[in-house]
Amino acid sequence: MNAASRWSRIEAVARHDLRILRRDPAFLVIFTVMPLAFMAFTERAFGSALALELNDSGLTGASVVVPGATVLFSGFLVGNLGFGIFREHGWGTWERLRASPLSTGELILAKSIAPVLSLALQLAVLLGGGSLLFGLDLRGTFTAFVAVAASLAVMEVALGFLLLSVCRSVIQLNALSNAGAMLLGGLGGAVAPVELLPGWAQAIAPATPTYWAVVGFQDVTIDGAGLGGVAVPVGVLLGFAVAFLVLSALRFRVEETKTAWA
Amino acid sequence: MVRWHLSPATRLWSMLEEGRSAVLQVDGVAKSYGDHVALHSVDLSLVPGEVCGLLGPNGAGKTTLVSIIAGLRSADRGTVHVDGIDVARGGRAARTAVGLASQETAIYPTVTVRENLELFARLAGLGGRALWSRIEEVADVVELTHLLDRLGRQLSGGEKRRLHTAMALVHRPRVLLLDEPTTGVDIATRSRLLAAISDLAAGEGCAVVYSTHYLPEIEELGATVAIIDHGRLLARGSLDSLVDQHGSGLVELTFEGPAPEAPGADCSGDTLRVTTDRPGPVAARLTAGLGRDAERLVSIDLVPPSLETVFLSLTGRIYRSDEGTDDGEGSIAAADADVTGETAR
Repeated sequence: MNAASRWSRIEAVARHDLRILRRDPAFLVIFTVMPLAFMAFTERAFGSALALELNDSGLTGASVVVPGATVLFSGFLVGNLGFGIFREHGWGTWERLRASPLSTGELILAKSIAPVLSLALQLAVLLGGGSLLFGLDLRGTFTAFVAVAASLAVMEVALGFLLLSVCRSVIQLNALSNAGAMLLGGLGGAVAPVELLPGWAQAIAPATPTYWAVVGFQDVTIDGAGLGGVAVPVGVLLGFAVAFLVLSALRFRVEETKTAWA
Repeated sequence: MVRWHLSPATRLWSMLEEGRSAVLQVDGVAKSYGDHVALHSVDLSLVPGEVCGLLGPNGAGKTTLVSIIAGLRSADRGTVHVDGIDVARGGRAARTAVGLASQETAIYPTVTVRENLELFARLAGLGGRALWSRIEEVADVVELTHLLDRLGRQLSGGEKRRLHTAMALVHRPRVLLLDEPTTGVDIATRSRLLAAISDLAAGEGCAVVYSTHYLPEIEELGATVAIIDHGRLLARGSLDSLVDQHGSGLVELTFEGPAPEAPGADCSGDTLRVTTDRPGPVAARLTAGLGRDAERLVSIDLVPPSLETVFLSLTGRIYRSDEGTDDGEGSIAAADADVTGETAR
């Protein structure tokens, strides 16, 4: 089999997954609209806090709240890859896919595409909406901003793969992904600036990938960084992605039976 | 739709015995789960166009064997070749040659029938006009043409089952694995599926492994038979040859309350059972000797030599078909009888 047919198989599964997503987009719509509401509720409060903290009248609350809400709510889509595969188990189609000409690698790659595109869409709407609705000012370059967003998406899909590999039921996956999103978001400074967190939380914040995503976005929105200026946060996010993928590969068993609803 | 006039299974069996090249070759396949041995060195060959009824009770090893042929499980020992390709080593090429419809219905409920079929056709490399015409063709075979644009979840149970089977054959597999395809379906759906399977084997030369509990289906399909029990292949051949070799008639007398003792008969619960080549005279002799117990006699069953009695002879279990019940399941009742002679103890 040549590469063309390999990509056509991956494309077939990805298109099929996107078709399923189009028929039932509620999950994606909710986690895209809700953060915009969250931004509306908190943008002025963050603006006041930021003015006091940095004494920089040129900054708005959007500089902090848009990246923060984006990082926090993108975390709720981490479970998407896992949900897609648990759904296949529930429908009985996972074995059907395994018995098809797809290799295991192709199958996982194909199943990752719809979650990656969902995340990309969510990030684009949140960051674009934040800019249009709340006047988010990109002091740095657009390329740097996209680099941070892309590395965040890659890290989150890798984390989703890790959650899939350790969870045996969709209930476990749901609980872990939601609790993880809140915990990592809180520790990483996506809910409130890290400087306002308790000392112990400030100490462990850099051990979370969300911290580096928030730092990366704020390097662009507050410090005016270009691509070189976000190299460290982007590198750390990609490092987390590699670590999550390695752990997932060690734990994941394609033949393992997953329980869809118990 | 072109209907296939069933050629005798014996003809297919002779092809195999004559050495016609097998499209499915299973050699010495063994599989254990911990201490439990699911398969003991099973051999099985199918020629193109052959339908093989894989018959055995629950836990016999049928699903394990089907899963190994499909490449979903690896064998501890032995090899499986599909169209000359080693399934364990051939990976994708072997999987392309196999179609699997597992025991549980597996369809996508939120996309249409056409989209369900499209995915698996594309995965097998079909595209363009060939793809759409093949989908129409397969939908016609399983009588789903008028439902192609309906969502999977909007189908009835029988329609879902037909779609499930269609998804396994849309890519023209050389070997089709159907694991209890008619479990839980109504009589009309069962007939449609059996007709479709026969058409497929005859029209496309596809070899079909048909795992089932239902003996009458094997007879209706004109299939060759492989009887498997406790992970061992007990018998393999055409229905006629197995009946010739292992089949005896059977007389069963059922009583209200415990069955009386009778010379030469197996007494088990409320049933007296005798295997014999001459069920009529034996039934007459038994009833004549019942005396007052005749008043408690509920029924007399005379079973001519058949797959049912072959199964009894080989496994020591009585096969009872409970077709028409809500769940449609047949059952295989354990019997302690030694039924290898003319009469049971």
